Parts: sequence; structure tokens; C-alpha cells
Amino acid sequence: MNLRIKFTKKNYLRYISHHDLMRLFKRAFRRADIPIKYSEGFNPQPRLSIANPLALGIASCSEYMDIELQERMSEHVFMDRVNEELPDDIKILEVKYIENTKSLPSLIRWGFYEIEFKAKNLKEVEELKKLIKNWLKEDEILMKKVKRKGNKVIEKELNIRKLIGNVVVKDKDIIDSDIKKDVNCIVLNCLLKAGDKGNLNPMDFMLSMDKYLNLDIDWDTVDIVRLALFIEEDGKIKLPIY
Amino acid sequence: MIDIEKFNKILKRVEKPARYIGLEKNSIKKNLKDMEVKFAFAFPDIYEVGMSHLGLHILYNLINEEEEIACERVFAPWVDMEKEMIREGIPLFTLESREPVKNFDFLGFTLQYEMSYTNVINMLHLSGIPILSKERSLEDPFVIAGGPCVYNPEPLADIIDFFVIGEGEEVTLEILNRYKDFKKSGKDKRDFLKEVSKLEGIYVPSFYQVSYNEDGTIKDMIPIIEEAPKTIKKRIIKDLNKVYFPEKLIVPYIEIVHDRIPLEIFRGCTRGCRFCQAGIIYRPVREKSILKLLELADNLVKNTGYEDISLTSLSSCDYSQLKLLVSELINRYEEKKVGISLPSLRLDSFSLDILKEIEKVRKTGLTFAPEAGSQRLRDVINKGVTEEDLTTAVSYAFKEGWSNIKLYFMIGLPTETDEDVLGIKNLGYKVKDIFFNQPKEKRKGNLKITLSASCFVPKPFTPFQWVGQNSIDEFNRKINLLKDNIKDRKITFNYHDPRLSYLEAILARGDRRLGKTLIKAWEKGCKFDGWSELFDYDKWIEAFYETKVQGDFYALRERDLEEILPWDFIDSGVSKEYLIKEYKKAKAQELTRDCRLGCTGCGINKSFSGGVCN
Ligand code: SF4
Repeated sequence: MNLRIKFTKKNYLRYISHHDLMRLFKRAFRRADIPIKYSEGFNPQPRLSIANPLALGIASCSEYMDIELQERMSEHVFMDRVNEELPDDIKILEVKYIENTKSLPSLIRWGFYEIEFKAKNLKEVEELKKLIKNWLKEDEILMKKVKRKGNKVIEKELNIRKLIGNVVVKDKDIIDSDIKKDVNCIVLNCLLKAGDKGNLNPMDFMLSMDKYLNLDIDWDTVDIVRLALFIEEDGKIKLPIY
Repeated sequence: MIDIEKFNKILKRVEKPARYIGLEKNSIKKNLKDMEVKFAFAFPDIYEVGMSHLGLHILYNLINEEEEIACERVFAPWVDMEKEMIREGIPLFTLESREPVKNFDFLGFTLQYEMSYTNVINMLHLSGIPILSKERSLEDPFVIAGGPCVYNPEPLADIIDFFVIGEGEEVTLEILNRYKDFKKSGKDKRDFLKEVSKLEGIYVPSFYQVSYNEDGTIKDMIPIIEEAPKTIKKRIIKDLNKVYFPEKLIVPYIEIVHDRIPLEIFRGCTRGCRFCQAGIIYRPVREKSILKLLELADNLVKNTGYEDISLTSLSSCDYSQLKLLVSELINRYEEKKVGISLPSLRLDSFSLDILKEIEKVRKTGLTFAPEAGSQRLRDVINKGVTEEDLTTAVSYAFKEGWSNIKLYFMIGLPTETDEDVLGIKNLGYKVKDIFFNQPKEKRKGNLKITLSASCFVPKPFTPFQWVGQNSIDEFNRKINLLKDNIKDRKITFNYHDPRLSYLEAILARGDRRLGKTLIKAWEKGCKFDGWSELFDYDKWIEAFYETKVQGDFYALRERDLEEILPWDFIDSGVSKEYLIKEYKKAKAQELTRDCRLGCTGCGINKSFSGGVCN
């Protein structure tokens, strides 16, 4: 019995890590008395997998997780009982039983983000639109990646161009999302690769954009929200719950 | 409330922002405006350490049960957060309401280890509260402290307004209720201090004057006001089945040091190890009944969702019906996959049997504490463990499939010789032999033995309160002796920094004159001294030098039995005569039996009732 869950992670709870989130759900499921399935062995763990770990500090309106139940229970009883045990800023929005047993993380392809920020070298939205358009014409956008192997630190240059999909700078007058507070901020939407077949962290995207376009971003003002995640099934891009 | 925009900004800059956000399951946020009394509960270390402390959870919930009193938590911000707070002008604040600590009526510290004292000072400073008690006005909170360290409160006498000696469950509410009356009365700070000094277990240091002999020892300590009692008697809870214990615990978002339900099964310990302060100050032993424990466990599992219950006490295997308790808990929670763990194991087959049962659910490494390497020295410290106990236990453990064994020792115990020190190595090698003496096909896992040595710190209210500590050089010599002799890939040898233990010894048995040294060390930047990455010994040495205080006088000096000790005015219930008797027996290598098997006359049953003493 596989259940796919869509949930939020907002406000201050953007500051808890992927592992913290797993623990939080395990404990919430136990409090809510959900008959969750456990792995075998000396250290049994509940069978639950989160689609695509969010970096610390990024909020989300649509996270996904698959869990396995021992016995079927109705979707909304499940949702009510668990939501009762969850903090305000993490709430389940949708649940659906799924047939496909392919692991959720392996299906994820894209993440869609809304990013709000201020930059000292930017006066106008139009200016940024042009800059980004030209930037994305390049075949190569290089980013330094630092990897740790044991005690060794290895630096690698990575071409992230293919990891960047559409980037749209929002016009001032059409910003209406309820998450926004500061009218002086620039808001953009971007589609970035996510999952084990290529992944670009939105913060890395921002760092790279800052470097290439010489924007001088004020990092204190950067606010990132994941709006959606997409999977690929039978060659088609879809939402994880459809 | 602090400036939230600034707060939001600095969260982006620090390493672990979740330490500062609060909002956890079962945390309690009241509207501070409606409260008669506001109490800030402070733990002078980071969130992960403080939240692992059971006493915090008990008092937090206990105080919050009162409708018109709010208790909120505050921890020491880690250095990155501190830097950002100073940069943005954010004062120290509580997690629940993000309210500056300075706006509370009380700031109550729990003191679990001496090396957190500089953090106490630092937290006062970050709150914008004057560090010295005499410089604070009624505008400032009353700064109070409790916990095991306050059995010698003197090094903090100039800083803390009053100390709570002993168990806090009852007396905390007595204090807060007096405060309600006081608040309405319009009297001044000193009047309130006078009022609380009448309560049993309360020590107001500014009401006492200490004078010294020429050799630096204490001449006398006298109360300077009529109300202040000559001795302060510790507070204890008579019946643990009736005392408040929370049914809900705050469940942190981030992983803390002890991330599980602490189920306190009893208080006190009857084993009588001579180095152990907890074994004396928490007497007498008082157990909770099985029924009470099962009821608590049920509620706690339901309300927290934790995956582990830890049966806590000083020596959990001594609980009189442990087997029954453990099997009952396992029965109840096996299906829910809630594990049971025992933090303190004894080296006997009984303990291992129980462990085996527990490990049906989960299997971890095994830890034993023989404390000393030779039988002779184990007799000196009254650790009733023989080498045979260890070998039987270890053989059994290997047979059952454990292969990761940790052994804890102390070096620098009274009367220790090099032979005793090398006994630590010998025990390690013996354990290794036991493993490899098993036939090859029976050996399970990959053997790993860890020998861990800490440096002995003599503590007040123990039979060793008079002894001189080993010098840092002597500790290092002994550590090197072991390092040079342990040469085996299967055996790892760990040891503590002797310089830290030296400072701990100074603060543990120090007097009021150390207050200025503490402040000086803090001024030089000392904080989080227990964290090796921040510990700066040289600054401490400068602080001693500049305040003309001799560290050796407190750490290394052997005291006369007649000397007035800085903590003599506190009545722990165990008589000084008993401690002296035990000290003499230690030197003669004579054992004292576990007093569950018959009272050994420590005196606690004379002045305190409750518990197992007959
Ligand atoms: S009074 Fe006797 S039985 Fe009670 S703790 Fe002391 S020695 Fe043990």
C-alpha cells in the first residue's frame, strides 16, 4: 500500500534539514497512530522516502513523499490525523494511493522555484530580463563545485547550462503571490533540473547568475520558495500527484 | 519582542538556524502580557545539549502548569549566532516569545558542569543584565541558579542573587508564589531576598560574610542578617510517585544529544562509589512504582512519538523490579517499534540478560565503566567490580554478538601508582584475548575496543573532597605511559584534556574569591570552555595571574580534615563524619557495601525521610 503525499514546508521550518524532516514525520506518524510499514533487521526504519531533499533555508509549497502502509486507510482520515500532529508550517495538502512502485526520488526531473531578491547593480526589471536572455544563450555556464573525499577537497568545474530550464523575471504589477512582502524586490521564476539525473540547487543558480551578470546580490534579501516538482513517467513530464 | 526582521535576516547567516526558532511540538507559548510572573529558564550551553537535560523539561512543564506564570527557554547562542546578534543589536531572547531575557522577572540557570560558568556570565552580558548581583536593580530579573554544581555555589556568589539547593520541583513554585506577593507589595530587591532566604534550600550569598586565615583557608562564614540560616539544608522530594512529572515533552526538530524519552525510574544511588558526587547529593534512593512508570511511558510515547525510551537514573540496573519493567515495556511497544535503552550498565550477568532482551529490537555498542585499572584501586574507590565480573560480562557479550566494547576509566585517583595506570592497558588486552580465544567460527563481528580515560576531579560532598588533584604534568605523564604501551590496532585509547580537568577542579572546590577570576577569564573571551575547539587555557592562566588567584591552591592542595571547606554550610544530608570515615577506609582499601543490603550509616535518614533507607 503506497501512499503519495504532498506537503508544505514554510516559514521558520525551512530551517530544518532533510533528516530533521524525516524524523519529524516518523514521530508525527507514531503520534497519529498510522500503521506504517517498517524495514526488517536490527534497526527497523519506517518505509518513507522524500522526493527531493530541499536545501536548508528554502521553503516549499509542494514537497512530496511516498510511504508504505501495513493496511489501507482512507485518504482523508490519514490526512486529518497526521495534520493534527504536524506543526503549522508543515501540512499535508494532498494524498493519493499509487500503483507505480518505482521509487519517488528516481522519478523526479524538475523543480520550479520562485526567488525574491535585491541586487545593488540592478535598477530595473527590464534590464535583468535582457541580461538573463543573453546569458542563457551561452552554451557553457561554468560553476565551481567543491567536493570532499575523505580529507581531500576536490574542485571541479561543471557546466550547468543544461540544468537551467526556463527563467522568467516577473513584472512588478503581476506579483500577487501571498508570500511576497517587499515591493522593492525582484521576483523571478525558474525551472531547474532536480533529481538523480542532474540537480541544480537554486542557491547555486543564484550564485552563478550573480557572478555572470555582475548583479551584486544582497544575500540577506534572498528568499527562495519551491513552487512545484515534476516527475517523468512514460516519457512525459507530470506532477507527482495527478 | 526582538526585531523580527533582523532576526529573520541573521537566521540566514548562521550555521544551524533551527537552534533559535522554537515552535517545537509541546512547547508552550503564552501571551506574556497576561502573565503575572515571567520566568526564563536558561541552560548555559547550546540547544542540543540543554534540551537533553531532563531537569529542564520537568521544571518547564511544571512552571507552565501555573496559569498566570510563563516559563520560556533560553540557551547559549553558538559563537556564529552571538556575533550576528551583537552586529544587529539583538539582545539574548527566549525561544517561545522571542522576548528579551531582560524583560523577565527571573532568569534561572541550571548548572550541570563547572565549565559552563563563563557562559552564564556571557548570557547575562548578551541580555544586557549587569553581571554582578550588587549592580542589578529591580528593573533586572532576579538571577537564580540550581543543579548539581550549586552544592558548591561559592565561585558564583557575586553573580547569582540566590541559589536553589537540591531538587527543584516544590521549592520553585514556593519562590514564584512569594514573588507574586512581593510584586504587589512595592518593596525592594533586598526584601524579596530576605523573604526567600526563609525558605528551606535557598541560599542568598550576599547575606553571608566570609573571612580568611593567613594561609588562605576559610576562617569562618557568618550570616549578616537575622533571617539567613547558618546552614542550608538541601530540598528533596519525599515521594517520587506523587511528584510532578511531565506527560508531554518538547520534541526538538533538530537532533539533540539524547534524542529520546527520558523515563526517570528512581533518584539516588546506594552503591557508594567514593569519587561520585551524584551518589551522595541525590540520596536517599527513591523509586517510582512500575504502575506509575508504565502510565508515564504510555503518555509520553503518545505525546511525543519518540522512537526510544531511556530508563534513566544513576544506576538503572539497581531498580528493584527492572526485569519486570523492561519486559512490560517491550511487550507494549515492540509493535510500535519503540526501543528501550539503559544508559548505565553494570558488569553482571543480570544486567546483560536484560540487555539481551532489549537488544531484540536494537543492537548497539556496549559500554562499561570499571573506572580503575587494578583491583587495588577499584577497592580504594569502592567500585564493587572485579576483574572476573568484567571477563564474564565481556565473554557473554561476545557470545551474544557484540563486538564493539567501550571501557571508561579515570586516571589520577587517590593512591594511584603506575602499576594501577598500566592496569587500564592490561584490561584492554585481556578483553581482546577473550575475543580471540573464542574459536574462529564463533567470533562475530569486527572487534573494536575503546579505552577512554578521564582525569579525576575531586568533588565536594564526596569522601575525596579533601584530596589533591594530580598536576597537569603528572596527568600527562600517565597518559603518555598508556599511549606508549597501548600498541594494538584493535584498541583505541582516548583521554581527556588534563588542563580542562584542572580548571574543573579549581571551580568545583573554589570559594568566592574565584568570582573575579571567572569574570576576568570571560573578559578575555573565554566561553564554551567545555568545547575543545573554543577552550583557551592560556587565557585562563592569564586571568588567574591578573586576579592574583592561585589555581594550585584549589586544585592540587590536600586539605586537612579540620579545614572549613567553602561548601560546609550546605547540608546534603550525608554527614561529614561519614565522608571522613569513607575517606579513611579508602586509604585502607576497605570496601563499604551497597547500603540496599543494609544501612551503612550515611546519615541521610536522620534528617530526611522518604526512600528505601531502613
Ligand atoms: S541512610 Fe543508610 S541506607 Fe540510606 S542512603 Fe545512607 S547508608 Fe544508604
